[in-house]
Amino acid sequence: MSSDYGFQQLVLLNSAGYERAELPLDESVSLIAPNNTGKTSLINALQYLLIIDKRHLDFGAHDKDKARRFYFPSNSSYILLEVTLPESGSVVLGCVGKGFSHDYAYFAYRGPLKIEEYRLDNGKLVTQPQLLEQLAQHGRTANFYSSTEFAEMVYGGARKQGQTSSEFTVFRLENRKDANAYRQVLTRTLRLDKLSSGEVKRHLLQIFSRQLPDSVVDFKQEWDKAFAEVNQDREQYRSARNQQTLIDELERQQEERLAIRGRIIARRPLIDDGLERWQNHYQTESKNLQHQHDKLQEQEADLLERDREQTRRQSELNQQLEALNKDEHRRRELENRLALINERSQLEQQLASTITERNRHIALLDNACGQPAPAIEHQLRRENQELSNLRKEQETLSDNLYLTLKQQISAEQLSILNRGLNRQLLTLPPGDYQLESQQLLQWLQDMPEDWFELPGLNLSVANQAPQYEQRSEKEVAQLIEDCRGRLRQLQEQKAATEQLDTQKKRTEELEQEVKSLEKDLEQFDELAQLQKSCPDRLKAMEAAKQELAEIEHAQKQAGALQQAFREQIQEVANQRQALDAEHQEIDGIRQNRGDTDDQFNWLADLPHTPWVGDPVLPLDQLAKTLRDYQRDCYQLKELDRELHHQRITLHSGGLTKFQYAPSPEEEIRLMVEFRHHLVREAEALEKKARSAVVTVTASLRDLRGNLQSFENAMHEFNRLISRRKLSDLKVFRIQPVHENHLVEAIDLLIQTAEKVESGESFELFNQSSVLDDRQLDYARQLLIDEGSARHGLKVADLFRLTFELAKENQDVESFDDIDSAASNGTVLMAKLVTGLAMLHLMQDKRRSVQALCYLDEALALDAANQRSLIKTASEFGFALMFASPSPLITAHYCVPIQQMSNGKNHISRKHWQILQPLETVEA
Amino acid sequence: MSNTSQFQQIASNLPNLAHLFRWFNRGRHLNRISEPVLWEELERNLDDYVAIFTALGFDLRLDGRGFAWFHQDDGSSNTNKATRQLALLFMVIFDTQADAGIPLMKFEHWRIDQTLLTTVFEQHQDLLEAEELDLSGLVSLMRTAENFGFARYDGGAWQLLPAVCRYLDHYEELASQVDQDEDVSWAGDQDDEDNSL
Ligand SMILES: Nc1ncnc2c1ncn2[C@@H]1O[C@H](COP(=O)(O)OP(=O)(O)OP(=O)(O)O)[C@@H](O)[C@H]1O
Ligand SMILES: [Mg+2]
Repeated sequence: MSSDYGFQQLVLLNSAGYERAELPLDESVSLIAPNNTGKTSLINALQYLLIIDKRHLDFGAHDKDKARRFYFPSNSSYILLEVTLPESGSVVLGCVGKGFSHDYAYFAYRGPLKIEEYRLDNGKLVTQPQLLEQLAQHGRTANFYSSTEFAEMVYGGARKQGQTSSEFTVFRLENRKDANAYRQVLTRTLRLDKLSSGEVKRHLLQIFSRQLPDSVVDFKQEWDKAFAEVNQDREQYRSARNQQTLIDELERQQEERLAIRGRIIARRPLIDDGLERWQNHYQTESKNLQHQHDKLQEQEADLLERDREQTRRQSELNQQLEALNKDEHRRRELENRLALINERSQLEQQLASTITERNRHIALLDNACGQPAPAIEHQLRRENQELSNLRKEQETLSDNLYLTLKQQISAEQLSILNRGLNRQLLTLPPGDYQLESQQLLQWLQDMPEDWFELPGLNLSVANQAPQYEQRSEKEVAQLIEDCRGRLRQLQEQKAATEQLDTQKKRTEELEQEVKSLEKDLEQFDELAQLQKSCPDRLKAMEAAKQELAEIEHAQKQAGALQQAFREQIQEVANQRQALDAEHQEIDGIRQNRGDTDDQFNWLADLPHTPWVGDPVLPLDQLAKTLRDYQRDCYQLKELDRELHHQRITLHSGGLTKFQYAPSPEEEIRLMVEFRHHLVREAEALEKKARSAVVTVTASLRDLRGNLQSFENAMHEFNRLISRRKLSDLKVFRIQPVHENHLVEAIDLLIQTAEKVESGESFELFNQSSVLDDRQLDYARQLLIDEGSARHGLKVADLFRLTFELAKENQDVESFDDIDSAASNGTVLMAKLVTGLAMLHLMQDKRRSVQALCYLDEALALDAANQRSLIKTASEFGFALMFASPSPLITAHYCVPIQQMSNGKNHISRKHWQILQPLETVEA
Repeated sequence: MSNTSQFQQIASNLPNLAHLFRWFNRGRHLNRISEPVLWEELERNLDDYVAIFTALGFDLRLDGRGFAWFHQDDGSSNTNKATRQLALLFMVIFDTQADAGIPLMKFEHWRIDQTLLTTVFEQHQDLLEAEELDLSGLVSLMRTAENFGFARYDGGAWQLLPAVCRYLDHYEELASQVDQDEDVSWAGDQDDEDNSL
């Protein structure tokens, strides 16, 4: 479909070996010339006007410098393109050599293009410096442009001041960003045989990129970002789980601390108040107890006094009773003894008679006197002895030992013996001794004076009186007579004495009897007395016994009472002791209170468990409470230390999550809470891991979605290029083929995420964590590797393009490389169609300006394909130009190149041949 | 501009040229999934690489399924034997998996571990012993496959790489030939084809 607007003609003046060339561009053209004439050069000239950007100019084997010299040999070398535009009608885009260094300059003006206008009056071509002036003379307002300005102008970019919008815009693109791609594809249309699969893919991607958000997914970064928190949380979870017992202990201690704080806070004012009240209480109570004690002691003393009185009375009564008993006993005894005596007179008579008898005897005795009988007896025995001695002396008076010795020994010696031997021995008769005078003399001579020596025994006789003195017969007989007279007297005396004793005895007996009777009489009187007092006595005894019993009872009671008193006193004493002890203790604690630390002043600001104990403190509880309080204080400090330590231990065990809590207390609370919710945390962690998967896959989903969009776009594109049959191909399409390993990995992750989201695969994730799934991990690693190799994943990395072709009755075959897909001609066509379709896609469809498409070496195509191609090109908004050594009859124009004698090429309007079906011409 | 200096300029922009050349020259395949970085480099500069390798007399081939290799028309006898044995290895593996009802196209996901190899060996003992291969021979053959870029060892098992597609293609081709001509045994044809590796 030819357009009203579009390229009209290309004119070369003094360029590329052409003196002048005029080429129609409004319809298909068959440019005809032998090889190596200048067909390709002619068409390449358009690059300066359409590609503009020096970097993209492509002259095949000729480098760009050489091409510049070739195209702009002088400052009057021109490449001119006439285009009809919907906005500004005919415009001329031109490029003129500057001569100097073969540079060139762009210019443009509103056409039409008239070659004569470039010719000076002298017939020469106008040079670049005079160009604008020259054109002005023809009423053309031309301007020079830099290549950038020119490019922007042609592709509808920025405008120069004073220009109407899009005055010279040839190519209006759907999207400004496509300008580059468009130019590149356009470049290729000049050399479509070089269009490669890679380029097709690149351009297609570029073309469709406006449908695809420009997203590059750095999968590793996405993954790390999404899972960083999960991993951190998992670390915290693990460390909490490993340290559960420690946290439990922490919790217990913290609860204890809170409770203790609550207690301390509640008790502190109570205790302050209690301590104040205590002093008073102590004094009062102490006095009170002292008073009680004194009173009790007084009472006890009274009791004791009473008791003593009673005891005294008791013994008195006992004595009384004893006396009474004795009397009674006496009465009974006397009654027994005097049972036979009825009258007192009986006894009185007996007594009177006995006294009379006694008195008679006493009178008898008063006559008798002298010695008593024993003494007489003794004298008798002594006188008898004397008599016997005297008789013996009488017998031995003539011959006795003394006399014998007196004859034999000296008087001295005799004196010794007379002092040494007794009288009887010295008067022994001769038959009773044997004397050996010699021996005796000898013995006596050996003896010292006044010594009487016996063998083994020496006796002093110095002070001994002489035992014997020799008396006369007469003397002796007188002595014997004296002795006999004394003996007779003594015997008479003795007899008289014996008579007197008997009398005395009888008197005594009578005396006895008197006494006994007197006593009996006395006793009788006593008995009478006793009998008389008996009833009174019995009564008195009864009374005494009664009183005693009473006393005993009273004493017993007093004992109990006393015990009670004693106990009471002890009790009071105990109370006092306890009070004192309490006071001492309270005072001790008061002096050394455990709550003097600073922290106790702002304890109420710290977390604590309110104490629900009794809000009043009775004084009797003070000491105990104080003790408890004191212990609480110390324990609180101890707990502070321990909790601090525990916290540090937990940190080093990895539980650092709450380290930045506003206070250690808060941290502990959070740790404990965390530990209590470990099960929930595990679930949350799993949930987080899942949502991380979801997050990660969100970007993958975008990528996947973009791939889908691209595929849809490709589908459209294939429809576009399949509208017309290409060669003998039944099927020709460009098919995106997934890079399976990547797309599958992405799909796996997306599916997993979907399952995670819908909760379908709960069991799967319950079994093994999301993160541990082997397949997932493989997919993840794959995407990470690929992503890092490509600095992020793009849609383009997910597929490759294959060319699918099929002839009639044959299976579809796919090719990575379009060049190998079919015969040269077919491939050429395929490329051309593809290229045109791409350009078409880029153009603004609302504004059709027909451009040019060039096919070199066009003879490779048969006529049918040529026609088909011309039509297709026209549909896409391009006039097709074939270059070949011989004419193609399928084209509208046939333009041969004239070779001049000067070696220059020449094409003039005059040589244009228009080919038309005969019918049309005839008609 | 001379060709040499042109190549020098190109080569200076290809830091991995020497590495890739050694890689391919050892007969090793480059797989996109196992060597994403090298692959990306190769892909990005494909034209340059092809130009240089071609100039050096090597035919770099790139399969759209994600692998590349130096195509050789004449293999050394050593390579011959190796390729023949590898063909046998992949054949028995694929056969075993097919018997187990496992879809062959997903071969990249298989875990080829000792267990699988044992099963493979048991099921194809006769065939393997004819090639003088025992179980350990099978294992060392897997290592050979690894060296040629047909497999990689990862996590205690081998994973087949896309390059194995070359063998798969070949089996398919043989299968279609067998369809056409019942008498042709695939083993007999194999030599001609495998020279290309
Ligand atoms: N860009 C250029 N720079 C310098 N010389 C060039 C350039 N383009 C073409 N030439 C020269 O112009 C002459 C014509 O070549 P061109 O390629 O235009 O011939 P052709 O008619 O297309 O031939 P063929 O039918 O063989 O393609 C050649 O001598 C060529 O060297
Ligand atoms: Mg040519």
